[in-house]
Amino acid sequence: MSGLRGVIEFLTASGGMHGWAMATAAVVSAAAAVVGSLLVVRRMSLIGDAISHAVLPGIVVGVLLGGRPGGPLATLGAVAAALLTVWLAELLRGKARLSEDAAAGVVFTTLFAAGVALLSAAASRVDVDPGCVLYGMLELVPFDTVELAWLEVPRAFLGGLLVLAGVLAVLWLSWRQQLATAFDADAAAVVGLPAKAMTTGLLCATAVVTVASFEAVGAVIVVAMLVVPAATAELLVATLPRLILVAVGLAVASACSGYAVAWQAETNAAGMIAVMLGVGYAAAVLIAPDGMLARGTASLRLAWRVVCEDVLAEAWRAEEVGAALPASPRGGLAGMLAAWWLTRRGRLLPGGRLSEQGRGQAEMVVRSHRLWETWLGRHVRLPLDHLHPPAEWIEHYLGAEMRQRLEAEMAHTPAGSVAADPHGSTIPPER
Amino acid sequence: MSTPPLLELHDVTVAYHGRPVLWHVDLAVESPCLYGIIGPNGAGKSTLVKAALGIVPLADGWVKFFGEPLDRVRGRVGYVPQRESVDWDFPVRAIDVVLMGTYHRLGWMRRVGRAERELAAACLDRVGMADFATRQIGRLSGGQQQRVFLARALAQQAEIYFLDEPLAGVDAQSQQQIFRVLSELRDEGKLVLIVHHDLRTAASWFDRVALVDMRLVAAGPTEEVLSRENLARTYSGHLEVLDELGRAVEAGRRTP
Repeated sequence: MSGLRGVIEFLTASGGMHGWAMATAAVVSAAAAVVGSLLVVRRMSLIGDAISHAVLPGIVVGVLLGGRPGGPLATLGAVAAALLTVWLAELLRGKARLSEDAAAGVVFTTLFAAGVALLSAAASRVDVDPGCVLYGMLELVPFDTVELAWLEVPRAFLGGLLVLAGVLAVLWLSWRQQLATAFDADAAAVVGLPAKAMTTGLLCATAVVTVASFEAVGAVIVVAMLVVPAATAELLVATLPRLILVAVGLAVASACSGYAVAWQAETNAAGMIAVMLGVGYAAAVLIAPDGMLARGTASLRLAWRVVCEDVLAEAWRAEEVGAALPASPRGGLAGMLAAWWLTRRGRLLPGGRLSEQGRGQAEMVVRSHRLWETWLGRHVRLPLDHLHPPAEWIEHYLGAEMRQRLEAEMAHTPAGSVAADPHGSTIPPER
Repeated sequence: MSTPPLLELHDVTVAYHGRPVLWHVDLAVESPCLYGIIGPNGAGKSTLVKAALGIVPLADGWVKFFGEPLDRVRGRVGYVPQRESVDWDFPVRAIDVVLMGTYHRLGWMRRVGRAERELAAACLDRVGMADFATRQIGRLSGGQQQRVFLARALAQQAEIYFLDEPLAGVDAQSQQQIFRVLSELRDEGKLVLIVHHDLRTAASWFDRVALVDMRLVAAGPTEEVLSRENLARTYSGHLEVLDELGRAVEAGRRTP
């Protein structure tokens, strides 16, 4: 309970300062995650990156015309800058024959630099701190409030909440059009769905989300918020609605934990939120259904099965000539470990003989091996001494049904029965 | 007045970056059939289809469906792009893709309902993919993906279908299944136009064909069009003239 009380105290201390900052980070991250999900599945992360940078001059112009950094004028300027970015990049691609990534790279860096230059030149007249452009001022967000009924609400939180609600509402209304366009824009356009409008809308939404996140996390770190939650969610789930849900969950969790950690470590909150997103991605790479951990375990399991089957087969072949499994089977340390394990599991008897159960398993490995040698000998032109290595490999992958098929097929070939393999060894029957 | 052709291309010319790649195609299809669009690689077959469907702009000419411009008959015309044109890692299931075929009828307000779901399931079943409805599309084989694409087109319930290389890189079972469904569509009175590169199979599969190589070489009943003379004109590569002229137009200079 003391943990929970600590959390509540942290959130409500000094007029709810931490609570508001965290909530602001959470709503802007969530809005960015929703828009970013569509960018990521459409393989448009780069254009999202470009837009989030290129909106800077638009914001500065909006502020110069009398707006606030997160206000309507700045938003309008940002949307205009975003559309200008896309249009310029298209132009460079079409007229100057630049590749798509180079075109985007040229345009957004130029526009961002122009924004920085404009900002510095107008520093005396513009209430935007260049540092804020890079990584935001989340810690200061709670101090710029508006009066809402009886509640003092930070302006940035309100803005973020409005944008989140707007993004969700538009997505809800245009869901089918967005989905069909995202998957196959040409086919969507042919049947009359507004594919172009959906793409333009997504680009505008990217600009709007960037402006909303601007005060809180800055134009650079918002890229992480657009791209990383969706990229992480893509590793974990298989349908778009779930992907968006998971991305939003990850974004909110990273926003809260990132802020708290940053406060403890006395460092920049926006940066720490992005670090948390990165940590989440790394974790997903490890634990995803098809992730490194799953694949690593699968290949370890396979390697162990191969070692065990090799030891069993060696014991069977030894018995075939009246001997027992040698004290140190092939396969070195792994082989010895496997022999110990197989003895414990009752497949091998003390003294290196096979138990009844072990014999059954071993026989199927040897059967697979010799059947495959025979099949290769008949269907692939290989010299006799080339047959063993491939069979040593394939014996671990042949199942009962396939063995029967191979046998049946070869019984019908002119060579006739398959009692013995090409080396003259007997092929054990299926059990 | 007689009924207008199902599809009519008049003097269709297409240019990429100012270079004409398809010259003056005049083509009319009067009645439902399996129509092959045949030609060598780079002949502009896909471009012809994309131009007809308004996906790439026309440099010249016009296209009519049922005697009307495409904008007035969208929904009655279906398109199955080349399989490589979309990202198959996209997070949707097979049934979701087929449902997309019904979207144009729903407009903005209506949601996907029971009727749409049942139709989509029936279309998946028709291409032999009912068992894979909830499979993520990236986990399907190439032939299965192509059949999902076809099911989406079926769900659209169009009257004219364009398919871009539906049989390329597809396993034999899928090929059979796809071809059977396309023949059924023809028998139901639909016009099915298929971009195809394989001459050997063209003769047996299509009722009519258009031979294309940067221009329309010939069009009509398959056995007449696939004459030795026409094939020689299509596949012998005597198009340096168009190629060279295209480059000159692109560069804005006169040919030597």
